[in-house]
Amino acid sequence: MRRFRAFFLRLAGWRGRARREQDLRDEFAAHLAMHIEDNVRAGMGEDEARRAALVKFGGMESAKESMRDGWTLVWLETAWQDVRYAARGLRRSPAFSATVIGSLALGLGASLAIFTVADNLLVRRLPYRDASQLEELWEAQIAGDADHNVVSPANYYDWKAQSGVFEDIAAWRARRSVLSDGDRSEVFGKYYVTDNFLPILGVRPVLGRLFTLQEDLEARNTETLVLISHKLWQGWFGGSPDVIGRRVQIDGQPHTILGVLPQDFYFRDRDVDLWEPMGLDPGYDYRGKEGRWLSCVGRMKPGVTHRQAQARMTALAARLERAYPVFNKGWTVRIEPLRDAMLGEAKTPLVVLVAAVAMLLAVACANVANLLLARYSSRRRELAVRVSLGAGRVRVVRQLLTESLLLALAGGGIGMLIAQWAVKGLALLAPEELTKSAAIHFDLRIVLFALGLSLATGILFGLAPALVGSRTRIMDGLRDGARSVSGWSGMRVRLVGGEVAAAIVLLVGALLLFRSLAGLQGIHPGLDASNVLAFRLTLPGGQYEKVSMRKQFFARALEQIGHLPGVVSVTFDSCVPFTGPCAGTWVRVQGRPPAKPGEEMLAAISSVPAGYFRAMRIPITEGREFSDADDSGAAPVRFIVNEAFVRRYLGEERPLAARISVLMNPANPFGEIVGVAGDVRDLSIEKAPEPEVYYVASQLSYTGVTFLVRTGGNPLAYVEPARRIIRGIDPLQPIAEVRTLDSILGENSARQRFCATLLAGFSTSALVLAAVGIYGVLAYSVAQRTRELGLRMALGAEPGRIVGLVVGTGARLVIGGAIVGLAGALALTGLLRSLLYGIGPRDPWTFVMAPAILLTAALVAAYIPARRAARLDPMEALRTE
Amino acid sequence: MGDKTDIWQGTLALMVLKTLETMGPLHGYGIARRIEQTSGDRLAINYGTVYPALLKLEQEGYIASEWGVSDNNRKAKYYRLTRAGRNQVKKEARQWEETSAIIARFLAPGEEAS
Repeated sequence: MRRFRAFFLRLAGWRGRARREQDLRDEFAAHLAMHIEDNVRAGMGEDEARRAALVKFGGMESAKESMRDGWTLVWLETAWQDVRYAARGLRRSPAFSATVIGSLALGLGASLAIFTVADNLLVRRLPYRDASQLEELWEAQIAGDADHNVVSPANYYDWKAQSGVFEDIAAWRARRSVLSDGDRSEVFGKYYVTDNFLPILGVRPVLGRLFTLQEDLEARNTETLVLISHKLWQGWFGGSPDVIGRRVQIDGQPHTILGVLPQDFYFRDRDVDLWEPMGLDPGYDYRGKEGRWLSCVGRMKPGVTHRQAQARMTALAARLERAYPVFNKGWTVRIEPLRDAMLGEAKTPLVVLVAAVAMLLAVACANVANLLLARYSSRRRELAVRVSLGAGRVRVVRQLLTESLLLALAGGGIGMLIAQWAVKGLALLAPEELTKSAAIHFDLRIVLFALGLSLATGILFGLAPALVGSRTRIMDGLRDGARSVSGWSGMRVRLVGGEVAAAIVLLVGALLLFRSLAGLQGIHPGLDASNVLAFRLTLPGGQYEKVSMRKQFFARALEQIGHLPGVVSVTFDSCVPFTGPCAGTWVRVQGRPPAKPGEEMLAAISSVPAGYFRAMRIPITEGREFSDADDSGAAPVRFIVNEAFVRRYLGEERPLAARISVLMNPANPFGEIVGVAGDVRDLSIEKAPEPEVYYVASQLSYTGVTFLVRTGGNPLAYVEPARRIIRGIDPLQPIAEVRTLDSILGENSARQRFCATLLAGFSTSALVLAAVGIYGVLAYSVAQRTRELGLRMALGAEPGRIVGLVVGTGARLVIGGAIVGLAGALALTGLLRSLLYGIGPRDPWTFVMAPAILLTAALVAAYIPARRAARLDPMEALRTE
Repeated sequence: MGDKTDIWQGTLALMVLKTLETMGPLHGYGIARRIEQTSGDRLAINYGTVYPALLKLEQEGYIASEWGVSDNNRKAKYYRLTRAGRNQVKKEARQWEETSAIIARFLAPGEEAS
């Protein structure tokens, strides 16, 4: 303990140095004065007394020196000297220092930013007990496209009872609901969950309790219990502890708050704030009467692996297929680790970005190593002098290491600032699916990671050349002046080759993504999305049970919003376009026999009011649009289908003569097709349109619809007027999911845009770094070959030939690296496949353009030293050492 | 050389502590004089060597220092024992006695079985 105290005092000893010196002088002076006085008193003369006192004291200066040593730690002092010496040296070559620090800051900054995002999504623990044992379960068609299909409750019950590999399986279903406490009401995300859902995840309420199996079973008759999120508790209820037992209205039905869930809890979607009992009925004939609509999550028994569980579930599905040959025909089970399921399609961009940023970091490090090597080559003389003057090898290595660490830390520090700023940008730029399931933030872990990464870079890329430098070559440095050192040059050439290769790979990736993005932006979505405000209106089912009431509400809203000045048109759709499938079902054509299993006609279903197609500017290619008469409720059921429907299902048949029945309602009479509409890419902009059937709103009435308001100016300026109108009709009716249709469309290509933008940044950086590397090596080689070049010129070589010579050296450097890079790109671009649109991962144009761009950059980088070489004065050149 | 210095440093430290225990607060010069006197002038030390020992003891927290005025009205830095220092004197003195007793047995003309 005492030793530690002394250590820390000495550690802090460099402070207050001047005061200590003064103290020391005073103390010694007093000492001497007292001693002299005593001596005089003992009878000595003044001079003799002084001399005797000084002799008795011993060496005054050495005493002072050992006091000074005692104030601080000697090794700290030397380290500080090293640092100051290194800093001075770096200040003297600002171009070198700036390039190294800049390279590192760029590489480390980008890596940190991407790592922060990836860490939050890929690495960080999910907030569940033993999350690695959690799997999501889906039904999957053996032959068809549906490989992540929701689950029939009947199959859920059978899996739960018979799996043998799952401890337990729970189910959930998402929807949006209106929460109201009488004063205000708002739309929130809600999950219906089975009683075992939260226990399987290992989640305990921070307040109140979870519901029981009994309460879950009763919920199908009385929907009365609800759990709320921590956020809702704090925000709406002010964190009040007596929130338990509070009565609220959800979708117009009275509910009692039973518990509050922990702050960090989320499942798949951070925007869920309400959890209600599911109310499944184990005795109900779900296979006979309902379709597939559940989502399932299960906890595997301890020791069971994903592969074993998948095998057992496949076998179970085969048994169920035999047991229920109608409903389960052609269906199997697919399980997926929860983390993968939560990441979904965001995983590819993340993996791509992590790989890309690692490559950029490698380029940056290679560049730094390259520059350090160059610096050591030119400093060999200085080092040799220091060694021969008696500096120990360790001391020299430490000096070099101090320098590279100093550079690395400076680069890391700036990189961290860049990253912190970049992460904010990333969070804005990132596709929703990335940010939905995890908060992206910068924390201590990242700072530590940054520190570790910079130190590792500094040590690795400082130590290697330093060791090489100290071992064999130092004494040579004195002997052969500054002529080339072949070992180092070889290493530098390889480093630059590596930079070129990595830059090519990144360039290829960026070009592929940009071409895809351009392709996506060139697609016509099928409707005119410009200046359209979209918002979701969800009427509480309890209050608006009667179709006529909903119809009246929507009609008033349409009329009043339509009268707002500046509104061009207004309509609504049961489905939000470009956000994936909404509802889909089987369709029958009159006069045809019922379809065989597996050959059913599947169509997406939308419910829209009269005038929808005109408002959305979707062309009607045949027949007519829905009229007010169709929407009156008195007319027989009539349909509009899209062109994909006609192509796929009607073939040669004249669409307007066909009558179809859509299995959507309890009774589904055949109705005529009154029109054919142009295809809209409803699923997603990059997916081909699927067959779709439009109902007129009064024939298929939903409580929740998306209003689409086309405006003359900025659509978002109409949010408040629209909200006021809705409030005017029902003061407790909120609107939600306010967006523009353009932004929804933008979100569609967000993954591509995100990756393309980042890869463009990375590849440009890599290109610049590689160019710097090429320039460095060539400039160095020109300097080394000054005498040879001078000789050539003296013997009559034209400047042009000299330029050719140097550029040729550069070209050899680049071409080797480029070939490796292209091979690497061919191997790696497969990773991008799911992000590409309209081109393959081996798009020839890209594979020609990438090396062309790189070659241009390389030529520019090579030309500068080449021109310098061509301007050499032969006489000067020959005179150099 | 190192070891011998260490032993000397350790002994000097104990002498300083013991001196302060007996004499109360004292300046460096007084401590050095007192050590010489106590040894019956058998120990001749350079007075300058006392100061590094004082610095180390102060950093370890066994003694504390402050500027004061000497008997002759001269400004001087006075050192005094801290509570930790008092305990340390006892501990070190005991250890030293043990050590010297053991060494003494080795050096005494041997009647014991060795």
